[in-house]
Amino acid sequence: MMTSTPAAAVAPSATLTAALPSFSIADIRAGLTAGDFSASELAEAALAVCTERDESIHAFLEVTDGLAQETAAELDASFAAARAANAELPLLAGVPIAYKDNMNLEGTRTSCASRMLENYISPYTATCIEKTLDAGALPLGKLNMDEFAFGSSTETSYFGCTYNPWDLGRVPGGSSGGSAAAVAAGLATVSLGSDTGGSIRQPAAFCGVVGFKPTYGVVSRYGVVGFGSSLDQVGPLGRSVADVATTLDAMVGRDVRDCTSQDCKPNFAAAAQLGRTQGIAGKRVGIVPSYMDAAGVSSEVASALKAALTKLEGLGAQIVEVELPNAKAALSAYYVIGPCEAFSNLSRFDGIRYGYRASDCRNLEEQYEKSRTQGFGAETRRRIMLGSYLLSSGVYETYYYPAQQVRTLITQDYQCAFEQVDVLLTPTSPRTAFKLGEIADPTSMYLSDIFTIPINIAGNGGMNLPVGLGETSGLPVGVQIIGPQFKDENIFEVASALEACYADIERLAPWTPVADDSSSSGGGAQ
Amino acid sequence: MYLTEHDVRGIAAYTRIELDESELAALTVEFNAIIESLKPITEYDLEGVEPTFHPIAGLSNVMREDTAEPVMSREVAMELAQDVHEGQYRVLPILGEGGEQ
Repeated sequence: MMTSTPAAAVAPSATLTAALPSFSIADIRAGLTAGDFSASELAEAALAVCTERDESIHAFLEVTDGLAQETAAELDASFAAARAANAELPLLAGVPIAYKDNMNLEGTRTSCASRMLENYISPYTATCIEKTLDAGALPLGKLNMDEFAFGSSTETSYFGCTYNPWDLGRVPGGSSGGSAAAVAAGLATVSLGSDTGGSIRQPAAFCGVVGFKPTYGVVSRYGVVGFGSSLDQVGPLGRSVADVATTLDAMVGRDVRDCTSQDCKPNFAAAAQLGRTQGIAGKRVGIVPSYMDAAGVSSEVASALKAALTKLEGLGAQIVEVELPNAKAALSAYYVIGPCEAFSNLSRFDGIRYGYRASDCRNLEEQYEKSRTQGFGAETRRRIMLGSYLLSSGVYETYYYPAQQVRTLITQDYQCAFEQVDVLLTPTSPRTAFKLGEIADPTSMYLSDIFTIPINIAGNGGMNLPVGLGETSGLPVGVQIIGPQFKDENIFEVASALEACYADIERLAPWTPVADDSSSSGGGAQ
Repeated sequence: MYLTEHDVRGIAAYTRIELDESELAALTVEFNAIIESLKPITEYDLEGVEPTFHPIAGLSNVMREDTAEPVMSREVAMELAQDVHEGQYRVLPILGEGGEQ
């Protein structure tokens, strides 16, 4: 873990440090409004929590102490002015937030968890980060991930994996593993992740938090390092539907710097509130019968899904069976489209303009080869090479073009389904978090995302909602709620109502203070 | 088998990635397994199906007015380069064995 400046001289409040990990955005807002604490005190408490807990989790690649303290001081001045003028505090006033390390934040390292960008200091800030800062959030730092977001476990990070706060011997999922673990461990109130094939939702499921991938185009991707440009979308993770909704409200909208961002101004917090207060009686919830007993789905995931359905029925929702006949080809289509787009996006890394540069080379070609070979990890090299192959003459016609045609069929499946239902309910992941090193074979790892990938192919929004701990594993289980394109509010309404049925489940992973360094389990930062 | 070791060596060269002989055999096996898993999309009758290259149909690009606006300065953009000479990126010779300059 890298820190930007020495720790502050002022000791953080022990009471606030103990309470902060379980605070919601509303708690922080209420405390700031009542004058119970200041943004500066929140920053000190949040940094103290990170120092105390992240040694065993390794969610952070960089803690931006100085930036958090500086921002907090500015926020205190602006909040004082707002209070004097009887003005509302901004949406994310004082909310400790952290960002996946593929998002540029000026002056911080944006490594994508790769040796290639180990020394890359962002010269500008991504729109999604800028918007959260404009909304008054406290930036705590940058979070671990699979290298360039290629992976489902965070094990491909060049800087060592992140440990699941529920069981330090297990992965947090990926690629936004740091984003999910930080929220589950109480290191941040909310975080941002990116999702190309499930990279927000699957780690959210593994870590027992809410994670949302909006419809493609809802959030600007400007300043987020590209993986699969027709699949990538940025979204928030938090410990409640309301926190995720509020964070998303601060981020959405058209951005002239991302031509795919759309001019939508939904109010997700209001939708979540509506679901909670008005209920969801009469809402049509679709289920895919073939998903209920699909091969590879663990019995505890299947049983949690059925229990969620029963609760939805209890809320008055109408359960409708729908078919997604082409979704079975989504994984194959994804592993054509994703690597092809990644191959294109990662061709920019040549060691010349920025990034890792190999030394002792005889000529430019050798320097390209050595820089890319030494700078990229095994999975990244694998996807680049696969993408190159799939785009080559002859192979393009066999795989790439048909994959885009199959994408049309998959998208039509969803359009057809959403003529009959308001949302779909599926598992998020076929199983709970697996052990570190348990899955080494790439094709087995790819199956982790079998229920999340079709949504990226079709462009719809999807959320992981935690529904408790698995009856066998004792680990978090999540269900996925999917909505029609640009009707993500449907998801928040249903998720918020369903969440109320699980009021007793814990979103914050249990944490026991480490007695001394030698007893730290999980291995710590690598 | 879709790819031979010779093919994989060629792909590596094209993508400017070095492979040593020890990893070539394993990588070839992995690639063949991955390509085998792509089979479902080759089994469709896709006659007359239009491709979707972008996930959201019917939306327009977001364009701004074509006016000059402040952009990142050359100095800032080049700060991350390891070898800059008089405002230009300096690279090794394209041909031959000139070594580090």
